[in-house]
Amino acid sequence: MSKAVVEVNSLVKQYGQLRAVDGISFEVYEGEVFAFLGPNGAGKTTTVEILECIRPLTSGTARIFGYDVTRGEDVKEIKRRIGALPQEFSALDKLTVKENMDLIGDMYQKHLDVIEIIKLLDLEDKTNEKFENLSGGLKQRVGVAAALVSDPQLVFLDEPTTGLDPKARREVWAVIENLKKLGKTVFLTTHYMEEAQVLADRVAIINKGKIAAIGSPQELVSQHGGLKVLVIRKGDKKLANLLQRKYDQTTMNSSGDIHVKIDDVDEFWRVMATLTDMKVDKEIEIQTPTIEDVFLKITGGRITEEGELKQ
Amino acid sequence: MKVITIFKAVTKNWIRSRSGLFFSILFPVLLLLVFGAIFSGIGGTSQYSLYVQNLDRDASGQPTELSTAFIQALNGTGTFAMSTVPQDANATDYVRDQLGPLGGNMRILIISEGFQEDLVNGTLKVRIGIIYDMYQQFEPYMSDEQKTAFQQGLAQMQQYNATDAKVSLTIMLDPADQSAMMVKSIITSVANAFNYQMIGAENVIQFNETSVTTKQFSTVELYVPSITAAFIMTNGVIGLAATATEFKRRGIIKRLSITPLTKIDWILGNVLSQALLNLMLTAIMIAIGWVLFNVRIIPDAITIAMILLGSIMFSGIGMALSGFIKDVEAASAVGNAIAFPMMFLSGTYFPIEMMPEYLRTVSNALPLTYFSQGLKSAMLYKDAGGIYFNMAIVAVLAVAFIIVGALVTRWKEK
Repeated sequence: MSKAVVEVNSLVKQYGQLRAVDGISFEVYEGEVFAFLGPNGAGKTTTVEILECIRPLTSGTARIFGYDVTRGEDVKEIKRRIGALPQEFSALDKLTVKENMDLIGDMYQKHLDVIEIIKLLDLEDKTNEKFENLSGGLKQRVGVAAALVSDPQLVFLDEPTTGLDPKARREVWAVIENLKKLGKTVFLTTHYMEEAQVLADRVAIINKGKIAAIGSPQELVSQHGGLKVLVIRKGDKKLANLLQRKYDQTTMNSSGDIHVKIDDVDEFWRVMATLTDMKVDKEIEIQTPTIEDVFLKITGGRITEEGELKQ
Repeated sequence: MKVITIFKAVTKNWIRSRSGLFFSILFPVLLLLVFGAIFSGIGGTSQYSLYVQNLDRDASGQPTELSTAFIQALNGTGTFAMSTVPQDANATDYVRDQLGPLGGNMRILIISEGFQEDLVNGTLKVRIGIIYDMYQQFEPYMSDEQKTAFQQGLAQMQQYNATDAKVSLTIMLDPADQSAMMVKSIITSVANAFNYQMIGAENVIQFNETSVTTKQFSTVELYVPSITAAFIMTNGVIGLAATATEFKRRGIIKRLSITPLTKIDWILGNVLSQALLNLMLTAIMIAIGWVLFNVRIIPDAITIAMILLGSIMFSGIGMALSGFIKDVEAASAVGNAIAFPMMFLSGTYFPIEMMPEYLRTVSNALPLTYFSQGLKSAMLYKDAGGIYFNMAIVAVLAVAFIIVGALVTRWKEK
């Protein structure tokens, strides 16, 4: 196993009566994309800002590359080694993309060639464009570029695609996949299930300040996602009743689709044989559980597009 | 190095912002142009309008000699733009018509009928009184022949029937007219001079007017440092407060705080940017004064030091405000609420001596009072006392405010 670059142990952040982060522990390993998945107010950004050394913790420990986020001298070392895209990234409006990149780059003793980073993020034709004239997606790309300019070993991306249209979101995903190829460790926070599923090597589901589950998307799905479902499109009540008699986990939704939950491959073939015997000539599909199903099962709710938890 | 990077970035950001450029440089320039045009006399000197109705006529209907002479004396002051109200018109109605729908200041002087006659009689009466007083004073020392001759002379003079009639002039002024007191005072002065002339008296007390400074300064010269000081203040208290609040609200400060940049570097970079902006403002104000109003101010090292200290002081206030306030509109509103009263109470536009006692106390507590006075001393008076006293106070306040600004600027979330 790779070495841990982030080590968090019993981390607590308390605001008066509110416990925003409630004793969480986890590790992030070198070279992986680690996703913190949860609704707004779950404690994602609070945790990330503690790790970025811009928010004090209440109790517990947090170490980045072995450096303590609460010790003055260690903080300097951490800040030299991390890059970050804060939530709702913004930059100086009247400065160009390159000037904003130079501004961030010059904060470090050593930094990469700004033009190279601009090329890496496919922003070459916007190099001399003022930040205020960029679209939301391009602004986020500039934010990611700024996070990379110091050649960090660990990159925090806090809700990098929130508020972006689907096309811009895919563009940012491509950038994150590229970071992984470059060997960077990426700490991603998101409330988009698909984003976590597509990008992350490991996902921590956080809700109400606590980590509800942690593991690779496959592990989470297999542990918490439930059964696969065989869907018969546009069936009828008679067929549903017949199947129900043989397979008790059969339901029919309002669209007329019949769902049969299957435990294993043998059961799948048994259901298929039944359908063949009954000469059913309908569209058939197999649905595999997703992170969304995992989240639903663990928290009892879904996350809306805006990031709110809906029970 | 990081300080210079921040300085360059925020300065570029400001220079490219039209609204920033307008409020920091163009607005004070416009104000100087307006004040300069009013007080420099370029394009003609300013005069008070005065309508005169002369009702004192001789038998042929022509204005009498003395009333005409009095009007000429008023005109000779060069203070009034005089217009004549016809003899048979209702003066107030006539003037109101003349002023038209936009209105204006109604200032009317009516010379009553009998002005000349009353003036002659009154003067004669005064002169007889003087001779009689003189006679009474010297009577004990006179011979009988002298007394008899004097009494005969007095009796002959009294045959002229000198009454004690007082000459009356009617001045009609609008109570809302800010110049009313000034106009009344000038007319009274001219009338007094006329009185003295008529009775043959001479001014015994004469004024020998000299300036307390080695050089006489024009009003525009005084406004160059005053307006400059006021806008150095607004650049910090309103401009920087709003900009820093905007940076905070948009997460720019948070983004920078994740890098190795320190809070002190950030503040120093902004103070440097303010200092450059204020030096530019001063240079432009001096250049405009020089070219348009013939104001010759040559800034020296002391002036530059004063501007730097002022920049630190007002940047400290701006930073402190941005530390407390969350949104830009509120920062701008609070900045204005502090800056504008300070501008008017610190002697920038009006002399502090004009203010009531309690406002003078307030004025003495305002940083701009010392900065404005110090800048005037450094740019114009060159008086060591004025420079170093004010500079010392500004330096102490600069240190105090920049410390407060640094303390309340949040570099870490809660």
